[in-house]
Parts: sequence; C-alpha cells; structure tokens
Amino acid sequence: MGHIAIEQVRCKGCGRCVVACPKNLIEYGTELNERGYAYVIFKGSPEQCGGCTLCAVSCPDQGIEVYNSRDRKVFVNTTGLTEVMTHYCPGCTHGVVHRLVAEVLEEMGLLGRTIGIAPVGCSVLAYEYFNFDMFEAAHGRAPAVATGAKRARPDRIVFTYQGDGDLASIGGNEILHAANRGEKITVIFLNNAIYGMTGGQMAPTTMPGQKTTTTPFGRDTADTGQPLRVAEMLATLATPAFIARGTSHDAKGTLKTRKLIKEAFEHQAANRCFSFVEVLSTCPTNWGLSPNEASDWVEETMIPYYPLGILKRPAPEAVKA
Amino acid sequence: MSKVLMKGNEALGEAAIRAGCVHFFGYPITPQTEIPEYLCKRLPEVGGVFLQAESEVAAIHMVYGAAGAGVKCMTSSSSPGISLMAEGMSYLAACELPCVVINMMRAGPGLGGILPAQSDYFQATRGHGHGDYQCIVLAPASVQEAVDLMTLAFDLAEKYRNPVMVCADGMIGQMMEPVEFRSEGRGPPMAGNDWALTGCEGRPRRIVNSLHLAPEQNFAYNVRLKEKYDRAAREEVRFELYGDGRPDVLVVAFGTMARISKSAIDDLRREGRRVALFRPITLNPWPYAQCRAAMDAMPEGAKVLDVEMSMGQMIYDVKLAAEGTRTIEFLGKAGGLVPSPDEVAARIRALLP
Amino acid sequence: MKATNVLMAGFGGQGMLLAGKVLAQAAMAKGLQVSWLPSYGPEMRGGTANVIVCISRDPIASPLVTRPDVLLAMNLPSLDRFERSVVPGGTIVVNGTLVAREASRADCRVVRVDSRALAQAAGNERAANFVMLGAYVGATGVLPEEAVEEAIADEFRDGKEKHIDTNLAAFRAGAAAGRRAAAASEVHA
Ligand SMILES: Cc1ncc(C[n+]2csc(CCOP(=O)(O)OP(=O)(O)O)c2C)c(N)n1
Ligand code: SF4
Ligand code: SF4
Ligand SMILES: [Mg+2]
Repeated sequence: MGHIAIEQVRCKGCGRCVVACPKNLIEYGTELNERGYAYVIFKGSPEQCGGCTLCAVSCPDQGIEVYNSRDRKVFVNTTGLTEVMTHYCPGCTHGVVHRLVAEVLEEMGLLGRTIGIAPVGCSVLAYEYFNFDMFEAAHGRAPAVATGAKRARPDRIVFTYQGDGDLASIGGNEILHAANRGEKITVIFLNNAIYGMTGGQMAPTTMPGQKTTTTPFGRDTADTGQPLRVAEMLATLATPAFIARGTSHDAKGTLKTRKLIKEAFEHQAANRCFSFVEVLSTCPTNWGLSPNEASDWVEETMIPYYPLGILKRPAPEAVKA
Repeated sequence: MSKVLMKGNEALGEAAIRAGCVHFFGYPITPQTEIPEYLCKRLPEVGGVFLQAESEVAAIHMVYGAAGAGVKCMTSSSSPGISLMAEGMSYLAACELPCVVINMMRAGPGLGGILPAQSDYFQATRGHGHGDYQCIVLAPASVQEAVDLMTLAFDLAEKYRNPVMVCADGMIGQMMEPVEFRSEGRGPPMAGNDWALTGCEGRPRRIVNSLHLAPEQNFAYNVRLKEKYDRAAREEVRFELYGDGRPDVLVVAFGTMARISKSAIDDLRREGRRVALFRPITLNPWPYAQCRAAMDAMPEGAKVLDVEMSMGQMIYDVKLAAEGTRTIEFLGKAGGLVPSPDEVAARIRALLP
Repeated sequence: MKATNVLMAGFGGQGMLLAGKVLAQAAMAKGLQVSWLPSYGPEMRGGTANVIVCISRDPIASPLVTRPDVLLAMNLPSLDRFERSVVPGGTIVVNGTLVAREASRADCRVVRVDSRALAQAAGNERAANFVMLGAYVGATGVLPEEAVEEAIADEFRDGKEKHIDTNLAAFRAGAAAGRRAAAASEVHA
C-alpha cells in the first residue's frame, strides 16, 4: 500500500518509470510541463501501489518520491544533489549514476569531506548537481587531478566521475597510472559506448558495427580495434584494487550498482586501495533510440560484452586490517 | 565550376582533399567536429585514410609520423585540443616536416566555452610549443577564403617544410556560405623530396631528428630555421586593405572580426566618413611594413583601432608596425561574445575628428 | 534588391535552421550572395536554435547581424528576445500556434500564421517551419516562390523524396497566407 508523487517540472517524460513499475501504474502523459516535456502520470490507487520504489530508482531526474501505507516517505531525494535540474537528455542515465554516488556519500556521512572531479563529457556540469566540493578538470586528466588532491588531503574522500571517451581514450594514461600507483581514490566510470557531448563520435568502448558520426558505416574492428574493457584491463594490474562493473539501465541493476559504489567508497574511507566502478549507461540521443529502447540495447548488446560483477577485490587480510 | 552552399568545417575538409591531402588524424571537439565527421565519410571515397586518434596529443604525433613518411597530412582541432598539440608542433617544426593544422578557435582560457573567439592569437603566432620555432599562420575571413587558403597552406607547408596553421574562429566553421572549389577531385600528392623516410633501399639512409646535443651544432640549426622564417616573412605576407586611401580611422582586424568591421566601415563610408580596414591574412609572417604604409598614408593625428575577439593580442603586432608613430586604440570582447557592427561603428565614430 | 538580413528563431528541433538553409539555397540559385550563420550551443538537446541568413547583391560583410530586417519567431521566447531588434519598417512573422500575444511593433509589418494548422492541413505536422518561411516569402516577395520551392524539393532529394509534396504544400499554404496578409491592410493571416 503506498503512493508516489511525480514532480511535474522535473519530469522529462522519458518513460523509464513507466517500464520500471511492476504493476503498470504509471503512464505517458500528453500535457507539457514548462520545460516542454510531456510528464508522466500516476494512474494507480494506493491499494495497488506497493511502495516498491523501483520507479524512483530508475528515474534520472529526481522526479519521483515514494510513500508507504502510513504516508511515510520511503524514497527520499538525497541532499547530496542540488535541486538544479540537469541538462541531460530525457532517459540519459547520467542522472541515475549521479544520484547513486550522492546517496552513498550521504549515507556514509561523507558529503562534507568529499572532493569530486568531473572532466569534460556530458557530465562536465556535474559541479552544478553534486552538492559538495567539485573540480572541473581537463579532458581525461581527472585521475591526475585526483592524485594531486588526495596527496594534498589524504583524509578527504576524492573521486572522479568520467565518461568513456574521457577515461578510456584521451585519459587512458592517467587512469592506468593512478590505478597502478594504487591511489586511494574512487573512480566512477560511465560507459555509454559513445562520445555524448560532442554529438556521437566513436569511443574506444563503442560496440562492433555500432554507427557513430565517425564510424558512419559501423565500427570496423579491423581498423579501430575491439571495444576496450577498461575494468578487465585494470584488474590485471598487480597493485591491490577494488574493480567492479555495474549498470544503470534498469532498476534492478541500478540497486546492485549502488552496492558496488558503496563498497568502492568504503575501501577508500578505510584507506585501503584504489577503487573503480564502471557503470554501463544509456545515451538515447546519440544511439538514436528511445530511452527504453536504449535500456534494452544495454541489456542485449553491451552486457554480453561487458559482463557485470566484481572483477577484483583487495585481499581479505587487507580488508580485515 | 559551380558554387555549392557548404558549412565552413565541411568545406575545409573537402578543400584538403582537393589540395591533395588524404591523410587525416584528429579528435572530436566543438566547434570543429564536422571536419572529422565529413572526412570519415569522404576520405574512403578517394582512397584516403581517416583515423580518429585517442587524443590530440596522439593526433599531432600521428601527423608527425605521416609527414615524416612523406605524405600530405593534416589534423584539426579547437583551442584546448590545440594546446595539447604544442609538443608535437615543436617537433614538426624542428624536424622540418610539412603539415597543416586547423584551429577553429573557441573561447578560453581553460575549458572556456564553445563559442567563437580569437584568443589563441599569441599561441598561434608565437609558436606555442617550446623552442625557437615558428608556424606559418593563415586567417580566413569567409568560407571561400578558408577553402582557398587550404590549398595555399599545403603549398607553403611543402615549400618551407614547416607546419602551417589555418586559424579561424568557430563562426567560420559553423557558417554556411557558397563556395567554389578551384580544382576537381583529389589533388596531387607531395612532390618528390630527399628527406622523407620511405625505406632506404637503393639510397643512403635518412633520419628525422630534432636532437642536437652539441650547442654549436644546435645553434647553427636554429640559425638555419630562422633564415627560413625570414624568407617566409619576405615572400609570403598577405593582407587586404579596404576602404578609404587616406582614412581618419584605420581599423585593424582579422578573420570574422574583420568582416564585422567591414560592415561598420561600409555604414560610415555611406555617411561620407573616411575609414579603412587593414586585414592581415597571414598572421605569421605579419604584414608589418604594409600595415605601416597604410598608417603612414593617414592624416596627422588619425587613429588606429585594433578590433579583436580577445582581450587584446594582435594589438602588440599593430604596435610593432606603428613603432610609436600612432596611438593604437583597442576594442575587444572575449568569452564567446563578439563585438557587433554597431559597436565597432560607435567606437570608430568616437575616434573620428 | 536591398540587402536583407533574416533572423529565424525557435526551439531546437522546430526546423528553423533547415528553413534558413532552404532560403539561402534559393537566393544563391538566383545569383545572390548569401550567408547562413547558426547559433550553436552544447550538443545536448532542447534549448533554442537561431539562424541568421543574409541575402545581398554585394559581397556580405558581416554575417553576424544584430538588427535584422526580418524576424521569423517560431515561439514566444524568440519573439520576446528579438522583437525589439528588428529595424523600423521590417517584417515580423509570428507563429500564431505557439505565440499567444500580439507583436508589439507598430512600425513593422507583422504577419501572423497558425503554422501548425496549415502544416497539418498540408499533411505534415513537422512542416510548420516551411509554413513560416512561406508566409515570409509570400508577404514580402523577397524571392520568387518557385525558387524557394525548388530549394525545398532539392533538400529532400536524396532518399527523402516522399516528404517533398507535403513540405511544398506547407510552404505554399504559408505563402498564400503571407500574400493575403500583405494585400490586406490588416496583416493578420
Ligand atoms: C582536449 C580536449 N579535446 C576534446 C574535447 C571535446 N570533448 C568534450 S567532451 C568529449 C567526449 C566526451 O565523451 P565521454 O567522455 O564518453 O562523455 P559522455 O559525454 O559520453 O558522457 C570531447 C571529445 C575537449 N573538451 N578537450
Ligand atoms: S523516470 Fe523520471 S523523468 Fe522519466 S518519465 Fe519517470 S518521472 Fe519522468
Ligand atoms: S548526449 Fe547522451 S550522454 Fe549526453 S546527456 Fe544526452 S543522452 Fe546523456
Ligand atoms: Mg561516453
């Protein structure tokens, strides 16, 4: 027994919650909000809604709050994010991943001790959204900036939030060496198989045959190589680390990813090791798909190539110590 | 040949092919991304090579490799990406390798913004990498001129065995104008030469190198480079002088800013005012003598107005040209804002006698 | 003809950049000088999209124009933002579908069209941009209508031929409305 409150102005009408609701209680709307989006509508009654929160978990835009039968909020928007509405396209899961990071840091009581770093990519404006100290950094260089910040302030929590073009292409060197030095930083690596911000060019993570504006005939792996599995590569380093891959395309995967992100920050908080969480993400705009089709594409095309799970953990002794 | 309406970036890509360049290495960045996006479709049609590099650092060194192997090649980027190319440009110039680099300038410093700017003037004209080297820098003011200058750029690169930069602002890249290509199809490859690394079978081996540990030898090498730059300064200066022959105000501006100034000048001349524009087309070598001649033709006390989409960079060259004989006024905006024709006109008006 | 500077403004996705390109293409085919300068911003969706098209017999000096002769305002923010910049005696075409208020420039010719209704009637709801372009061309005769029709057809040549007829119909409906507006002293179409 429960109900939800959809904040009309925040909703971009992406329809991810429509699919996420196990009871089909949310439907696409036709009325436009002031930002020109057709916001969704809750058509269920309190008896029908179980208060499962899956709609809110899949919403990239902090658009839904969920109440239980006693009218208590069971899904509360995190104070780790500002109230600024993001510039992300409808259905882009950058927003989901932002929320996970913010929720975890809030839960761990770390908001006031964290320094975040977002280099260029669609998330370059992350400093507008994360409600704590933030650096903007040059394309690809965030792990170097994080190294500097962490070495200067070893008692603070330092993390980077990087796209796949940023981390795997231009920043390939910085991430490799930060990981190999075992910098006690956390890296959130958002893999959407494309350069989102510059309008859809090939990234090192682009799937074979995938059409992008610089692979108009589909990615030819004989010419441009195979999609780079960064998590696997970093996991081969001898330096201890926490390396994992999650997804943000559906509610179930998102909840699992939240656990991975939490563990990553715990390793850092315990000053244990370098921690890295790759998160598969959608770019409906540059994939030319609707938000829910984009989620299906993650499931069907990306996950088989980029398997989910924990690839590497520090040795148990290190964790106990 | 007939005219086609084309976006500046795409026209530049096509112009490169017509100039005979079919090797492109680059990395996406707004507002030049349409250059790689155009070439990745077009180069395969002419048997060329398009490669998206992993970074601008890699792209410029891919150019170093391709140029050293003796093909016409190029890269393109915009301000932050050009900064990353500084090291490679220094190596290219040091090893005397011909290539063309396009900078579709955007607002800085740092990440800045993606709107047009001319704030990379110092970077372009003073050799933004290390050492005593120079680039030849060409500044188009229209899409047609950008196309024409691409051919010139490849010619000069080869003639001087030196990197040539085509330096435009984002507006030129994003704008569509009618263009006419003066040649058809894929242009000629690089001419035969005695320096490219092609495999030494049947000839003495060659080396591409910029390491000269003995100071005397390195000095001699620098002197030789300088002589080359001086020759370019004598032979390659290009400029446009527009408007009144004995102006009361001489505007100095390049690229898009020169065009905007032209509108202001046209308006004032219709009112019978005596105003002129001096537009350097080569930003390096800079047309000092020609600009000075234009200043010397002005009446006593007449003013010079330097207009830029920056906080004032080219003004130092205008001052060098004037050698203290004129007061140089400045009008500029940066950050992606562009002085409008009305603003330029108002400023000129205030300087008129 | 006198040089004409046209500012076309709307939301991203409303097709003003394309309408501007068609106008430039048509003018070029008539042997005129043209430039097409878009506003450009971050790649992410939404926001506004404007384009300035300059048409002239003489070479175009500044492609950047702050006082346009003509404004095509596809939405209210565009009218609010640019209405005052139009030169006295200029033309303002207002998209009546999305703009409830009247234009407030008594010294300009104002043409108002319900672009969505006319586009729907033409069989293509997405062709509202060409209704607007039609209204402008019809009201001012800046170019022969056939020249613009030619450019529209060209635009949809490669594989998109099926859209030619409805886009042309939308343009013609707009042009008829524009002509009527110009003929009537009352300039509402
Ligand atoms: C040195 C430099 N080169 C290029 C760019 C242009 N640029 C900005 S973001 C970006 C790619 C972003 O892709 P990704 O990291 O995958 O992030 P996404 O937008 O997909 O989230 C590029 C190439 C830049 N800002 N700086
Ligand atoms: S997931 Fe959020 S933004 Fe998307 S439709 Fe639902 S409430 Fe709106
Ligand atoms: S372009 Fe792609 S990554 Fe960027 S905001 Fe839009 S959907 Fe997200
Ligand atoms: Mg990406």
